[in-house]
Amino acid sequence: MFSTLKEKVGEVLLPGDEFSFDTDDTISLTEHVKPEKVVCGPGLRRSGDRLVVCKSGVLRHKQPNLFWIESQQRRYVPAKGETIIGIVTIKSGDVFKVDFGGSEQASLSYLAFEGATKRNRPNVQVGDLVFAQFAIANKDMEPELVCIDSSGRANGMGVFGGGGLLFKVSLGLVRRLLTPHSEIRSDLDQLFPCELVVGMNGRVWVKSSSIQQSLIITNLLQSSDTMTASQRQQLFQRVKQGPL
Amino acid sequence: MKDTPLCNCERDFLLKAIEEKKRLDGRQTYDYRKIKITFGTDYGCCFVDLGKTRVMAQVSCELVAPKDNRPNEGIMFFNVELSPMASPAFEQGRQSELSVKLNRQLERCLRNSKCIDTESLCVVSGEKVWQIRVDVHMLNHDGNLMDAVSIAAITALCHFRRPDVGIQGDEVTVYSPEERDPIPLSIYHMPISVSFSFFQEGTYLLVDPCEREERVMDGLLMIAMNKHREICSIQSSGGIMLLKEQVMRCSKIASVKVSEITELINKALENDKKARKAGGRCGFAESMPQERITALKKDKTAVEMTDVSERANEIVQKAEALPQTVPSPVVPVPGVGQVGQGPQNTWGLDEEEDEEDSDEEQEEQVTKMEEEHSENKEESRGGEVVEISDSEEEEVVILHPEKPDRTPKNTGSTSHQKVAASSKKRTKK
Amino acid sequence: MAGLELLSDQGYRLDGRKASELRKVQARMGVFAQADGSAYLEQGNTKALAVVYGPHEIRGSRSRALHDRAVINCQYSMATFSTAERKRRPHGDRKSTEMSLHLKQTFEAAVMTQLYPRSQIDIYVKILQSDGGNYSVCVNAATLAVIDAGIPMRDYVCACTVGFVDETPLADLCYAEESGGVSSLALALLPRGGQIALLQMDARLHQDHLETLIEAAMTACKGVSKVLDEVVRQHLQEVSVLTGE
Repeated sequence: MFSTLKEKVGEVLLPGDEFSFDTDDTISLTEHVKPEKVVCGPGLRRSGDRLVVCKSGVLRHKQPNLFWIESQQRRYVPAKGETIIGIVTIKSGDVFKVDFGGSEQASLSYLAFEGATKRNRPNVQVGDLVFAQFAIANKDMEPELVCIDSSGRANGMGVFGGGGLLFKVSLGLVRRLLTPHSEIRSDLDQLFPCELVVGMNGRVWVKSSSIQQSLIITNLLQSSDTMTASQRQQLFQRVKQGPL
Repeated sequence: MKDTPLCNCERDFLLKAIEEKKRLDGRQTYDYRKIKITFGTDYGCCFVDLGKTRVMAQVSCELVAPKDNRPNEGIMFFNVELSPMASPAFEQGRQSELSVKLNRQLERCLRNSKCIDTESLCVVSGEKVWQIRVDVHMLNHDGNLMDAVSIAAITALCHFRRPDVGIQGDEVTVYSPEERDPIPLSIYHMPISVSFSFFQEGTYLLVDPCEREERVMDGLLMIAMNKHREICSIQSSGGIMLLKEQVMRCSKIASVKVSEITELINKALENDKKARKAGGRCGFAESMPQERITALKKDKTAVEMTDVSERANEIVQKAEALPQTVPSPVVPVPGVGQVGQGPQNTWGLDEEEDEEDSDEEQEEQVTKMEEEHSENKEESRGGEVVEISDSEEEEVVILHPEKPDRTPKNTGSTSHQKVAASSKKRTKK
Repeated sequence: MAGLELLSDQGYRLDGRKASELRKVQARMGVFAQADGSAYLEQGNTKALAVVYGPHEIRGSRSRALHDRAVINCQYSMATFSTAERKRRPHGDRKSTEMSLHLKQTFEAAVMTQLYPRSQIDIYVKILQSDGGNYSVCVNAATLAVIDAGIPMRDYVCACTVGFVDETPLADLCYAEESGGVSSLALALLPRGGQIALLQMDARLHQDHLETLIEAAMTACKGVSKVLDEVVRQHLQEVSVLTGE
């Protein structure tokens, strides 16, 4: 099982592909057999004694035994602990409703901001952007966002200041941007100084010294979605040089 | 399904960008996005791409009894269908305000302007006339649906051929295309709608708004015209207050745009005709996209980072459209699949032909951006330098003399880049 | 209709008017007791009733509410007996939906909606007799009704249709002229600022003539506004007499 999965890492799998739990044909009776344990990430599901692929994409593996399918999905499904960019749509009583591109709106309590108390309410208007983290995200409950970490600090989360442009990219690109040593990010580093906030829900907010630069970064990121690394580097190089 | 709400920062940004005469996709204020006209295998089927907006028009006909009050006139029927496929904001099976607006505007634009000879559609007076039905479907919504719809509808009508009929006594025979060649409709003129969006109580004006611009605009003015500079319909919408001068200015811009688009349509039709003649039923014909229409420029002196970056932006746009050579998972246009497009034939128009901008505006000047752009293109095709346009009123600029100018600019920008290298990041996971 | 001479050599029209002459406008305000505002207006043979309710709470789906201004809801209908041929559907077809939309748009421009966030203003207009210029008559009637309801407006909205025959603009078209294949232009104007709240044109017209036509329409609208102004003044006088002031 483990070995068959391992073999397929990096390959494209399609929904319906199966892996069976059966061990190899020959089992040595004398040696102690370690029970195999596999952790399934997104796109893999267990069904009886089989492991079924339910999304199309490339199989990825992380030591020691984590497997998942990397898909190019466009719709965001909330997961606990992920940080997203949301738009406040309704202010009602002591919660805000936040649109984050998922199947339903998430709620965000006004107390879930750093330093917020019953007296000292955060200044949030309808239409404002918030960078927040999911505290509750499961299929049976309304998702709930917070703008503080477990120790009550903002840790970068909260309401956005003025300016900047919000745009959408694919979830795949977002994940690529957020990998620890992202190439796109380092490429972008060399272009303009800019502030970049990336939400796991495919929303990216960018702020740069001028409107034009923000626009360029927006267009670059949106187009690098469908480019290979070399194409992208070429493009970034050209932009860097300005006039050809 | 509900559409994503528009956030305040986006609104502020867009309005500010418009104030600075910048647009999301690097266009100028009066520029259209790329228009691409493609025909289906059948007569009367036409796809129009306006940037990422994509619509399909199909014309069909049948023999029906005429209306009582018009016994010897054919019937025209228009239907604009907004399916949820095009945008999550469109709802199934409900006549939304937008759909009523588009339907009526198309009717007004094509039927009331009497661009089609309905009397020629009469077969037996008072008994049998042709009913021509134009169905326009939205495939992808990225703003300015009306213009795309009007282009698609009129092109499809021009492309359409109805079967020939013969009358013997009381009997009407409809001939199949094999027996007798189908007949094109007689079209007097081609009304094309041009949309203007107004921002900040009419202070700013943009042509061909994209979806995000439409969401922050105050109002819209649609002017349908033909190339003889006859206005076929005007419609303002959204609660804006217009001044007479603004309307007059828009009508002038519209006349220029309309003549360009008409030319493009004619070229596309001609190409399709040639292709059909050459290869019989060869299928999809495709006109090369009209590259750009540039009018009203900023002064040339601006040699700042902004100028440089604007070019860069152009390149970005260009790079997206360039045919990719590296084997890679590249989609031709991000986000839009090429639905229903068969194998493309290779006879396509030479790119140069489309480069000729038929702009007749006085303010028109060939800017550096354009040179960049065409130079860029030249490179991809073997590095010769040609003049950009043959329109009389444009200055013809040879590319070589500009070169020395550019080098200092180059250094300037790179030094800036060095300073800029330390980028502040706030990425979280 | 080709044989019909819309403008005689002497410069008279079918109904004996001069080219720039309006039809006779008669109006009454406050014709119904139930409504917050109402008006009846006759322009020649076209007759319209307008009723205004609001601003009130949003009816129907609450999601339509706007958090920064009032929603204007318009319904245009034509009485079944208003035209020569009996109408089957008084409202709900494409044309009348469009007309409702245009009315809505016109009044969104004119009414100060930002004063009443999260509320709704209803404007119902009914054509009792149709003889051309339906849109304009509706706008004029609705303006009076809105004024009667005491809803703050930037200015009167006045509308008028103009046609173009023999290089001459004709003001305030009647049905015979409208159906006679004249290119017609409907314009709603806020007369004081000269701002156009709605502009709609049908049929072919050369670009060069557009300016004269708009100019004529604006003049005609200003003429209408004078009449409406008088009606409002007279009405207010009557009311204040009744209240004993």
